[in-house]
Amino acid sequence: MRLLRDALIWFAAIAAASALAFWLGGYATDVYRKMLIWVALALSYNFLFGIAGQVAFSHFAFAGVGAYAIVIFAHQLGLPFGLAFILALALSAALAFVVALPSTRLEGFYLALATLAFSQLVLVVISEGGDLTGGTGGIANYRLPHVFDVTISGPWYTVVLVLLVASTLWMLRRLDRSAFGRACRAIRDNAVAAAAMGIDVRRIKVLAFTLTSTLAGLAGIAYAYIDNVINPPVFGLENIFLLLFMIIVGGAGSHIGAIIGAVFLYLAPFVLEPIVGHGFMVVFGVLVVLTILFQPSGLAGLVNRWPARRAT
Amino acid sequence: MPLLRSLRGALALALLLTQGAVATAQETVKIGVITDHVASAKFYAEPVTRGVELGAKMINQNGGVLGKKIELIIEDDQNKPDVSAAKARKLVDDGVVAIISNTGSPATQQAQTVSLETKTLHLTPANSADTLTTQLDDPYFFQTGPLASIQLATLMAYTKSRGFKDVAIVRDNSSLSQSFADSFRKGLEKVGIKVALQEVIPQGATSAVANLQKVRAAKVDAILQAGVLGPEMLQFFRAYQQLGMTEPVLGSYNLSIPAYLTMAKDLMDGVVFVDAFDADKPEAKAFTEAYGKEYHEQPSSLPAYGWDGIHLIAQAIEKAGSLDKEKLRAAMASTTNYVGAIGAKGTSWGFRDGKRTGFDPQGAVVRVIKDNQHGPVVFAGQN
Repeated sequence: MRLLRDALIWFAAIAAASALAFWLGGYATDVYRKMLIWVALALSYNFLFGIAGQVAFSHFAFAGVGAYAIVIFAHQLGLPFGLAFILALALSAALAFVVALPSTRLEGFYLALATLAFSQLVLVVISEGGDLTGGTGGIANYRLPHVFDVTISGPWYTVVLVLLVASTLWMLRRLDRSAFGRACRAIRDNAVAAAAMGIDVRRIKVLAFTLTSTLAGLAGIAYAYIDNVINPPVFGLENIFLLLFMIIVGGAGSHIGAIIGAVFLYLAPFVLEPIVGHGFMVVFGVLVVLTILFQPSGLAGLVNRWPARRAT
Repeated sequence: MPLLRSLRGALALALLLTQGAVATAQETVKIGVITDHVASAKFYAEPVTRGVELGAKMINQNGGVLGKKIELIIEDDQNKPDVSAAKARKLVDDGVVAIISNTGSPATQQAQTVSLETKTLHLTPANSADTLTTQLDDPYFFQTGPLASIQLATLMAYTKSRGFKDVAIVRDNSSLSQSFADSFRKGLEKVGIKVALQEVIPQGATSAVANLQKVRAAKVDAILQAGVLGPEMLQFFRAYQQLGMTEPVLGSYNLSIPAYLTMAKDLMDGVVFVDAFDADKPEAKAFTEAYGKEYHEQPSSLPAYGWDGIHLIAQAIEKAGSLDKEKLRAAMASTTNYVGAIGAKGTSWGFRDGKRTGFDPQGAVVRVIKDNQHGPVVFAGQN
């Protein structure tokens, strides 16, 4: 009975989120699509940072790897889209694994620095990659090819993004509730105690980093076909800090918190600018600080409290 | 039920705000402007936008276009390419007939996907990236700012004309600065000038004295300044003055941003830089006078780009005789011999042979900084 209820809730949520794609106008659709990418990235980063406790700053770099890889493989090198997709995902996973091996030996501040250096390296490579990466101007003039003789465009591409978010959430929730998820949380809370309980700390850390970074690569692949343009600034360091804020404001370690944080912080400038004009970033900053000060468990804490209040 | 009502109300409000669904009863010609008020492009995007606003005001005072007033709808993209495309869509939803992009080149590149899809006239009056009209075959997009390659050729021609044989390049470690330095190096090698050394001032450096001591020891004829980061550039000019150096300093068009004049006050006298503005040109004088009357200050070259941009669009609208998107595109594409405030004396813009970059290759100039102001032209063109 519970299984059926859960399936119905998932179906209703996906149907409602997809239906929006057919109802929104051009601007709202554009904002909605990009927000969905941020939500997908926030979900995977929440698992890495909030659940596995790894303060890594390479998440956006892996999104960049995915985005550039799919465009280079499918459009610069002309490989069939299916093969290009698999190769792009495999490259994201392989790079994530290579970075994870040495990086996960580090903790806290040192892990942050190592992954920050990797992000900078990715940025330099895509900015200086000549014709292959398009340099600082990036790559444009490509389109999502036919997949099984079907062209996915317009609102149907938004449905693909909704499915991306839904599948990312579904997979991460399943993992969170598995032995792997419990091991991640145990390592986050006390790595020494986790090791004493027989958890292979290094293996779990490498797996968590590789998996979440590959999911970031997948989000990057999806991003590449929103405007059919990719360029270095989108994968720069500024965005990784915004992603971190999304997790903290939403509530680190909570899937619903990651969604709320991403939606709130991504939409805030769009909603605030027409109301407060040029000062919208100041108001945005104040809102973030107030949330952190007065709701340290994140906005997800409010959602969690609501059913409890209703019950009393 | 009250919750449902509140949710519906909140959703309606959010949609109203995000879609900017504010109807105006006025009969106006709407032109969209994408600028940056809060991020890294603010220093040049804001002055260029000021020029657009002044130009629109002047055009409206003279009767507007097709008998209607121009209404500017200005959007902030925070110099983020993805946001720039979203804002371009918002402008199209708001019913603009043309879009002027004033922020960074990557942002303009991404916004082009919208102008191509919606067949909306799109102009960047100040962006200089050479790839903006080559990466995407967007017949609705036009560029009138001086291309980076044209500015570089002018700076190289000036360097050669001064008889310099050995030079040093000083840059910071940002990717844009690295790109400038690479262009400088290639350009210098092309005209037979040797790059004796290249010095990098890292971000966050508290002094550039050690870098400039190396430059002084190399006994070069001139220094090419390829930095783009304000604080590091300030360290360069401080060290240059501290060491009492006399080697001529040549800068990129980045030095035409007026903020540097106040940031490095009294440190930049005698520095030459590439620009596209000759204050002695009659069209430039007319612009300077209008700007002075409106804002009670001397303009830098940046607002002139915006001023020319809005005038060019107004001319295209008048020439098209309607707001039909295809007619507007055709009218803009047929522009020839347009003389604006920007460009060296005797040069003009035009989109000849189907090209969508309109700046005259001989239109860039070299100016000298004097008394903390962008001073006179000391060289023009590429010969």
